[in-house]
Amino acid sequence: MAAAGPVCKCPRTRLPVGGASALCVFVLCWLYIFPVYRLPDEKEVVQGVLLQQGKAWRSNQTAVTGFRKQLEDCCDPGQLFAMTKQNSPLGKNLWFDGEFLHSVTIDNATYSLFPQATPFQLPLKKCSVVGNGGILKKSGCGRQIDQADFVMRCNLPPLSSEYSKDVGSKTQLVTANPSIIEKRFQNLLWSRKTFVDSVKVYNHSYIYMPAFSMKTGTEPSLRVYYTLEDFGANQTVLFANPNFLRDIGKFWKSRGIHAKRLSTGLFLVSAALGLCEEVTIYGFWPFSVDLHGRFISHHYYDNVLPDSGFHAMPEEFLQLWFLHKNGVLRMQLEQCEAPLLQSSA
Amino acid sequence: MGYSDPSSSRDLLGNRTLFFIFICAFAVVTLLQQILYGRNYLKRYFEFYEGPFEYNSTKCLELRQDIIEVKVLSMVKQTELFDRWKSLQMCKWEMNVTEANLFSQRCQDVAMPLPFCSQHRKNTPLGTKLKYEVDTSGIFHINQEIFRMFQRSDMPYYRSQFKKCAVVGNGGILKNSRCGREIDSAISCNLPPISEKYFMDVGVKTDIVTVNPSIITERFHKLEKWRKPFYDVLQVYENASVLLPAFYNTRNTDVSIRVKYVLDDFESQQAVYYFHPQYLINVSRYWLGQGVRAKRISTGLILVTAALELCEEVHLFGFWAFPMNPSGIFITHHYYDNVKPRPGFHAMPSEIFNFLHMHSKGILQVHTGTCSCC
Repeated sequence: MAAAGPVCKCPRTRLPVGGASALCVFVLCWLYIFPVYRLPDEKEVVQGVLLQQGKAWRSNQTAVTGFRKQLEDCCDPGQLFAMTKQNSPLGKNLWFDGEFLHSVTIDNATYSLFPQATPFQLPLKKCSVVGNGGILKKSGCGRQIDQADFVMRCNLPPLSSEYSKDVGSKTQLVTANPSIIEKRFQNLLWSRKTFVDSVKVYNHSYIYMPAFSMKTGTEPSLRVYYTLEDFGANQTVLFANPNFLRDIGKFWKSRGIHAKRLSTGLFLVSAALGLCEEVTIYGFWPFSVDLHGRFISHHYYDNVLPDSGFHAMPEEFLQLWFLHKNGVLRMQLEQCEAPLLQSSA
Repeated sequence: MGYSDPSSSRDLLGNRTLFFIFICAFAVVTLLQQILYGRNYLKRYFEFYEGPFEYNSTKCLELRQDIIEVKVLSMVKQTELFDRWKSLQMCKWEMNVTEANLFSQRCQDVAMPLPFCSQHRKNTPLGTKLKYEVDTSGIFHINQEIFRMFQRSDMPYYRSQFKKCAVVGNGGILKNSRCGREIDSAISCNLPPISEKYFMDVGVKTDIVTVNPSIITERFHKLEKWRKPFYDVLQVYENASVLLPAFYNTRNTDVSIRVKYVLDDFESQQAVYYFHPQYLINVSRYWLGQGVRAKRISTGLILVTAALELCEEVHLFGFWAFPMNPSGIFITHHYYDNVKPRPGFHAMPSEIFNFLHMHSKGILQVHTGTCSCC
C-alpha cells in the first residue's frame, strides 16, 4: 500500500507533453505553409476588375429590393441608423460595439442630445457615397456627385476649391471618427475655433459620430456636439447607434469579411443601401494602382497609409464589387468627365 | 358669591400666592443676571447715542483698542467679538496713513519682492520651469503654446494707482445691504453673479474678477463640455480682466489655460492674467506669519493683499464668514446661495478677524452694515 502512492503518481507527471507539443508545432507549420484563408492579392483584384469592367452597368431592381430586405431584417437602418429618443429611451443599457464587455447607460444628460427620430425624409431618392480613395483625384466627378439628392462623405474630408471638381461640394452627411478629433483637434480640449471653422465647409450637414463604439471615443464625440452647439453652428451631430453598427458588422462577417472592424466606408454604404433607392459610390478603391496601371495616392488629398491589420479593405472592395456586378449599387471607378473637357469648361 | 380677601383666608400660602412669589423670584434673578453678566448689553441701551463719533475721540480709541486687544480669535466668545465690532460701528472710519504705509512697507519687505504680479512674457521667458505653490514636486514647462498666451506685459495696473477700491467678497452679509452704489469700482472674487436681482446690493462695475478653478471644475465641467454658459457668465463683467491662480497646483493649470482659449474662441476682449506662483507663495507665507493658519489662504485674502498694493484706500464689502451677522441674525453663506464650503480648507473666520484688526488700525475699511445711501 505504501508503494502504491508513488507508483500511481508517476504516469500523471509523465503526461504525453512531448506528443502534444509536437502535434501543435506540426499544425502551426501546416497552417503557415497552407493557410486556410488568405487575403486577396492586390494584383489579382485589379486584374479581375479589369476583366469584368467592360460590361455596361444596369440597375437590377429585384436585387436592390432583395438586398434591402436583407438589411431590413438584420439591422433596420431606417430606425436604428442613429441614436434617437425613440430607439434609445432613458436608462437603456447600450453595449459598445467596438469594445469587449463595456456598456453605457443613457442618462438624462446624454438623452437630451438625441433627436426625436431619424431626421431624414425616408426613403431617400438618389444617394452618392463618397470615399476618400486616391482614384478620385482628377476624376472630374464633382458634378455627378452633386447631382444626387443626398451626399455622404467619410471622415471629415477636405472640400476646398481645388478638390471640388473631383469630389463635389455638396454634403448632407459626413462621418467623423473620434480618433480624427483626437489627432487633428486635440480632443477639443483646448481651442475649438479651428474645428468649428473646418466643419463650415459641410454647410447644413449631419456629422455622424460613432460615439458609443469605443470607450475612448465617447467623450470627444459628445464634445463635438457641445462645441457645435456653443458656436451655434449649422451642422448637427448624429450619434451612431452601436446596435446598428454591430448588426452591420455581423451581417458582413457572415458574408466573409475577416477584419477586426469594418471600415467607415462600408458602414456608410450599407446604411445608404438601406436608406436610399439608388446608390452610387465614388472613391472606393483601396489599391495603389488604378485601372490603367498608374500609381495613385492612398487618399485624394494625401498619401498617409493606414495602420495595417485593422480593416480588410480588399475584401470589402470585393464585396462592393459583387454588389456592383449584381446591380444593387453603382461603383464609379472610371473618370466621369475627361480632363480635357473639364479644362475647356 | 361674595369676594373674599385673600389675606383673610385661612390658607395663607395658597396656590395663587405661591405662584406670585415664584414669578417675583424669577424676575429678580433674571434682572440680577442681566446686571451682572450682561453689563455691556444693558449699557448700550442706557447710553445716549448721538450720531457717529469722530475717529479720534477717546471713546473710539477705546473701542478700537477693544478689538486690537483680542489677539487670537479663541480668546473671546464670538458674540463678545461681535458686540465689540458692533460698538465700533458707532465710530467713523478714517484712513490711518502711517499705519497703511507701514503695512505695505512690511508687505514689501517681508513677503513681496515682486509687485502685484501676474504671469507675463517678461517675467516668464520661454523655457522657464515654473514651480507650483502647493505641489512642490510639480514643475510646469513654459512652452511655445503657453508662452503665446501670456500677455505681452504686466497688467495695466501699478502700485497706488487707484484712489479708492472696493473688494467685493461674496458673503451673505451683502444681501439686502444696498451697497451697490458705493461699490463703483470693484475687484470681485470667484465669479459672483451680477444680475438685476443683486444689482442694488453688489453694484455693477467690475475691473478685476478672479475665478477659482475649482468653480470651473464644478459648475462648468472643467470646460470640457459646453463652454458657452461660462462665456456668458464672464460677459456680464464686460471688460473686467480675469485673474486666475493657474499655477497654484497641477490640477488648476489645464482648466485655467482653457479659460484663455474660451475667450479667444469667442473673440472676447477680456484679458486673462495668471498669478505668478511666487507671488502666491509670498502672500501665503506672509499671512501665515500673521496667524492665518489654513491649508490655503482664500482668493479673497490674496485679492485684498493685492488691492492694498494697488489702491490707496481699500474698502471691503461682503467679507464676513460667520453664520450670523453682527446683530446675531443668521445669514446665508453667499449672497446668491447658501452652499457651504468644504470644511477644513480655508480658515475664513481667522482671515476675517485679521481684517477687523486692520480696520481698527485704519489700514482698510470693512463694511458689514447696510449702506445708508439711496
